[in-house]
Amino acid sequence: MDEGASLSRRKLLHALGATGVIAAADLAWWDEPLIFPRRAWGAEPVRFQWSVPEPTRIALMNSLAERFNQSQKDFAVAIEYVPQAQARQKLISAITGGSPPDLCQAWDNWIGQFNGMGAVEDITARAKAWKYYADVAPTAWQTVTINDKIISLPLSVTLDGIYYRTDRLKELGLKAPTPDWTWDEFLALAKAFTKADKNQYGFGMRGSGTWALLYPSEYCYANGAEVLKDGKVAINSQEAIDALEWYLDLALKHKVTPPSAATDGFVEIVETFGRGVTSMYQHNSGSSGQQKKNVGAENFATLPVPIGPAKKRASFWFSETLTMFKGAKNKEGAWQFMSFMLDDEPSQKYCSTLGLLPARKSLLDRPEFAGDPALAGFVQSFPIGIVSPYLAYPGWGGRIDSDGVPLIQQAMLGKISAKDCLDRFAEILKKEMS
Amino acid sequence: MTTLTLARPRTRPLISWRVRKLLIGYSYLVPAAFCLLATVVVPIILAIRMSLYADVLYKPQDYRFIGLGNYLRLIEDPVFWLSLRNSVVWVFGSVILQFVFGFAAALLLQQAFRGRALVRTLTLLPWIIPGVVVGLIWEWLYQPNYGVINDLLIRLGLMSERIAWLSSPDLAMAAVVFTNVWRGIPFFAIMLLAGLQAVPDELYEAAHVDGAGVFSRFWHITLPLLRPIIVVATATRIIWTFNYADLIFVMTGGGPANATQITSSYTLLQAYSSLDFGYAAALSVVLLVVMLAFTWAYLRVTKGVEETE
Repeated sequence: MDEGASLSRRKLLHALGATGVIAAADLAWWDEPLIFPRRAWGAEPVRFQWSVPEPTRIALMNSLAERFNQSQKDFAVAIEYVPQAQARQKLISAITGGSPPDLCQAWDNWIGQFNGMGAVEDITARAKAWKYYADVAPTAWQTVTINDKIISLPLSVTLDGIYYRTDRLKELGLKAPTPDWTWDEFLALAKAFTKADKNQYGFGMRGSGTWALLYPSEYCYANGAEVLKDGKVAINSQEAIDALEWYLDLALKHKVTPPSAATDGFVEIVETFGRGVTSMYQHNSGSSGQQKKNVGAENFATLPVPIGPAKKRASFWFSETLTMFKGAKNKEGAWQFMSFMLDDEPSQKYCSTLGLLPARKSLLDRPEFAGDPALAGFVQSFPIGIVSPYLAYPGWGGRIDSDGVPLIQQAMLGKISAKDCLDRFAEILKKEMS
Repeated sequence: MTTLTLARPRTRPLISWRVRKLLIGYSYLVPAAFCLLATVVVPIILAIRMSLYADVLYKPQDYRFIGLGNYLRLIEDPVFWLSLRNSVVWVFGSVILQFVFGFAAALLLQQAFRGRALVRTLTLLPWIIPGVVVGLIWEWLYQPNYGVINDLLIRLGLMSERIAWLSSPDLAMAAVVFTNVWRGIPFFAIMLLAGLQAVPDELYEAAHVDGAGVFSRFWHITLPLLRPIIVVATATRIIWTFNYADLIFVMTGGGPANATQITSSYTLLQAYSSLDFGYAAALSVVLLVVMLAFTWAYLRVTKGVEETE
């Protein structure tokens, strides 16, 4: 008899012992794990790409993801941090290469393109069955709805408003502006703040990045113009040209902007305000937290954008979204994490830490948001908030950066007129209407 | 009885020894050739193919063969021509100044002085720092409102008003070229210093005995002997700079108003902002052709490296 093939008593005991260890490890994994925390069989971790502009977000997201991971044992959320400047490119490369993450944090002006690439999961059914569906502001839903399909959850919303230095107002003995201020009052204040010989300017105009074109577009709306009217591009209407001329004159004629305005981006407009070079700038609530550190909460306040000659004003509404990809390996897990992020506590923690506004109305009414003077201008802007008209076509977002911003820079430098700028931009938009 | 054993005719090998030797030699090249094929040749072929298609990522329904459509669009694109012109200024402005100052630095570092080893190490610093970090540092230095450069110049009384170095279309290119020169000087300095150290001292001594002055010695000994290094270093650096968009991307993003937009940064913009990969591929192919033509012409004009050896 072959000794090697026989089952000795010793071997049998070894085999039984090993089986016992494996069985013990598998015992009731849904309760207390015996050997190490177990995940549900086959449940993939949720890969979540998160773009990081600054360290606060990393700490915040780590704590929120950890809390979520501890709240259930079926799967884990693994965050992949990407610098904000490369986030969109990374996602595009990942989609093109066929390996996008399960879930990402993205701005609504990106997801139109991702959706056009056929990469985004339709979450309409899940969103409509979700307990907070009716609590999310309708405009927030509009920003993430394409062709009647909901493709993201709006995590936070942003509206543009004006930051101004209250300490400098007192120092110069100026009257504080009111929420219903006009273009003339805005200009008068910008002039009063400007002391070029002391390197002090009234308004930190933005010349770099997507918003270099979006901000003047909002002034066009205040003068009665629209980007898209009756399905046709109307951004080069006379009202829009007049509004852009007025806006450009802040730099060219009145010189109430720093000389670097043509290339000043987000960092510069926030920094120059924080360092006292400028006394007003336009941005969303996202920089309010930073200004509390830079100049102190008591030394600045916010207002809605001023009312234009047409007795109108508009603030473009953007959403920071949580977007699931079609290729997600754990869609149920991704959805669970998305909806967790919009639960009361995580959503409030996220928005209040970063100075953002929650998309859910019941949270927005809480004193942390409605009662904060640094956010007052943005909360007051909700009635004038409109979905950015540049979300109408997926190709427009990219064209703003590649063609629109260089055009507005040329106009800011006086190289081309407001009319030339808008005529050329309108032609570019027309070509991308498909 | 004697037995005769007939010699068996040797069978002729199927492949001659000469051919076999040749094949063995080539077989050693196979791994490297395969790597080159996979990482260089195949991507180039794919890029050429991509440039013949309408390939806008967010419009997959419009994906189709359009032949030379992207190239025709490129001819009519004023920003492309502007970027090509900017590229020439960026490349030659940077490389010429890097070469001149790098050569001067190499000649200085060749001299014997106290602390030479430390100075040689410090000279390398700008080259060691990653390009993106260099861009960020200089962007802050140039910052008109709180940057060191404006502050220093005002304190020294050299100017009264703050200058927006990177926001003025007339100054932005000069400012980024200056930064690139600062970064690239060590490359030439080290390359040329290595060459200088290989020049035999006897040549200089003989020339000195013959009455040759400093300039004559430099012109007739140093320059000719350094020629192979100069040719290789400048050609490499030109190609490198032509494709190098990091600094511009960080410092100006191609602005203001495309004043610093070079072809490689424009390609990046088309690919990742407009998601127009077909057009971006056409731009890349043109970039490749320009660089191939330039390299061929440069090596022809300088008569290559071999002839001097």
